[in-house]
Amino acid sequence: MKQAITKAQIAAEIGSHFGTVFQYDEQPQPEFLSTGLALFDQVTSRGLPRGAITEIWGSQSSGRISVMLSALAYAAGNAEVCALVDVNDCFDLQCANTARIQFERLLWVRCSKSIERAFKAIDLLLQSRGFGLIVLNLADVRPTYLRRIVSSWWFRFRLAVENTPTVLVVISSVACVRSSAALVIEMKYEDTHWRQALTGNNINQGLESESCHLSLVKSATKTPLQQSASAPSYSHLFEGINIRIKREKPVFNPTELENIPAFAILDNIR
Amino acid sequence: MAIFGCIYEQSVLSGKPAKGKSLLDLAFTFSPLIEQTSADTVVLNVEGQELLYGAALTDAKAAVTEIQCANNVVSAIERCAARMRLKINVAISANPDVAIHAARALKGMTIIPPGEEFAKLGTLPLTTIDYELIGIEKNRGEEIHDTLASWGVRTFSDFGKLSVTAIAQRLGQEGVRLHELVHGRTQRHLRLIEVPVSFEQKLELEHSLTELEPLAFILSRLLNQLCASLSSQALAANEVRLRMRLADRSEHTRTISLPIPIRNPKTLLRLLLLDIESKPPQSPISAVTISAEPAKPRMLQNGLFIPLTPEPEKLEVTLARLSKLVGAENVGSPELLNTHRPDAFRMKKFSIAAARQSVSSNPQSENCSSNCVVGFKRFRPPVHVEMQTVHGQPVRIKKQTGSIDTPISGRVMFVSGPWRSSGDWWRSDVWARDEWDIAVANSNSQSDDVLCRIYRDLTIDEWFIEGVYD
Repeated sequence: MKQAITKAQIAAEIGSHFGTVFQYDEQPQPEFLSTGLALFDQVTSRGLPRGAITEIWGSQSSGRISVMLSALAYAAGNAEVCALVDVNDCFDLQCANTARIQFERLLWVRCSKSIERAFKAIDLLLQSRGFGLIVLNLADVRPTYLRRIVSSWWFRFRLAVENTPTVLVVISSVACVRSSAALVIEMKYEDTHWRQALTGNNINQGLESESCHLSLVKSATKTPLQQSASAPSYSHLFEGINIRIKREKPVFNPTELENIPAFAILDNIR
Repeated sequence: MAIFGCIYEQSVLSGKPAKGKSLLDLAFTFSPLIEQTSADTVVLNVEGQELLYGAALTDAKAAVTEIQCANNVVSAIERCAARMRLKINVAISANPDVAIHAARALKGMTIIPPGEEFAKLGTLPLTTIDYELIGIEKNRGEEIHDTLASWGVRTFSDFGKLSVTAIAQRLGQEGVRLHELVHGRTQRHLRLIEVPVSFEQKLELEHSLTELEPLAFILSRLLNQLCASLSSQALAANEVRLRMRLADRSEHTRTISLPIPIRNPKTLLRLLLLDIESKPPQSPISAVTISAEPAKPRMLQNGLFIPLTPEPEKLEVTLARLSKLVGAENVGSPELLNTHRPDAFRMKKFSIAAARQSVSSNPQSENCSSNCVVGFKRFRPPVHVEMQTVHGQPVRIKKQTGSIDTPISGRVMFVSGPWRSSGDWWRSDVWARDEWDIAVANSNSQSDDVLCRIYRDLTIDEWFIEGVYD
């Protein structure tokens, strides 16, 4: 601390004679890539940080894939070239098409349930540079396997992605990137909006009106309320999911915490 | 001053290929500036060959005259023609038309110094004149020839001695051009033909190769030469073909189609090696041939405000490595098929050019939305489950085959459906199904419910989990 103060004093005294020489150590302002979801971006400050690893983890039906699709759609729509490394080959194209992902800008690598291949593929993609968004989808990999991943892989990825405009997103069921992740988001399933007309056994009537919700919908043009007024169809067997988003890292500042939403709603589209 | 040589092929010897082709090969051996006047006549510009065909080293101090150089060139052409079994006449002159007439009329080797054109050609009959060289059509040429014959003019010398003014009065400008031709004073440029460039490199090996590393050295050498010849023509390759003759006398051929023209030998070498690694030849290699399909190189100016994209050359190598890692069918850009069949898609080769051309028409990109599409995680293949039903509705699922990492089983907490769909009834792989969205209290994880899409395959009456909403 004393050393830091001394340096600041020296810079204040003689800095005017040497121009910007004391500013060289300053880190450049980080750049962000929006996910296309205003509330999610609010939780994460400004979106997904470029040149860093972002981890989104949560249980099944917690909205991880939804955020992934939205981020891919937004990035591809803004002329970024994207890559998806899919360990368990679970990327649904109908859903991606509904999310309006431009497939011409998406490189899909199917790894046939091999984590090792997926990591090698990520390494190759990071080395080739120029991708705007790279997603590693480990959503279906068992937590026991994820915890066995050695940290050196993540360190390697962190160094490879550093000082590049690339966003590396890891989707997983448990937090596994550890200290190499610049941003960690936990997602949690809350409950579901079901269509009353088709209900057989509704265990959760309606939703509590929370202060902020992220809404995942099955039709990008209709709100859940409009959908429920329309006739039941293939596309609307259920209406939406209520999820909770929590930023684990970096830790919230006390002033920032007041403005951060806690919940989100995902609406259903097919 | 330019020096032109003309080679005239007299006759066809036995065992020689078609007339004209060998003559061009012979001419291109001595100069890249060639005019093929007719099938049996070529004119070449032999200017500036003093270093090659000038005086010998022992006579270095002696003045190297153009005549000496021309002599040496003609001698070299004759030697080369003899090796190629061509019977030719050669003439050298400062005027290409004079050289043509001399080669056609005078046998053997003829060298006409500047200023002696009229003297050398004077004895030639007017029947040997090629009127087309000075832009006179054949019929008109015959008329002029008959006119001159009626005047008693038989040779070049007779015609050259006539007054130009008198000829202009009687034969017009055509007569004047003919007079200049006879005196060797015509001025024109050669109608050059393009050098037939072959982008192919071949190497016969003394010992057969069985390993990739020595082959890499050979491929590197051949590709360097190939790319150098492409660069010399300001071209690049958009397709590379590798043919390897194997020890068992079979041939192993690989073709790499490139989305953008490339002429970087290192990139091409990596691509070829990755391709050979993925599909190696079955026996040792005894000869290697690489050929390239030439194309104009890529010219692209990136915008200042357009996001960076991967370098095309680097991306090609990355895609090749990914193909080797996970299989070519598992890498690419997805494309939905125009059918209602669930999960019908195909993989296309990912191309950065297509990515750049695709128009950004995503409304989500313009404004951030507070809503988002529910994601769906599809199981490939669908998980076969045992389903307990009450009044046709699923109430409990039990996973039957462990084909996914995350097992889903337990009591159905909520159900919505069914939605019946079918298709392709005219094909053998007809599909028909009842779909349900369900919430399952997952007995394996004590945490949350899982939202799934299940379906009953009506063709076999079995239940499957298609995927999980996430």
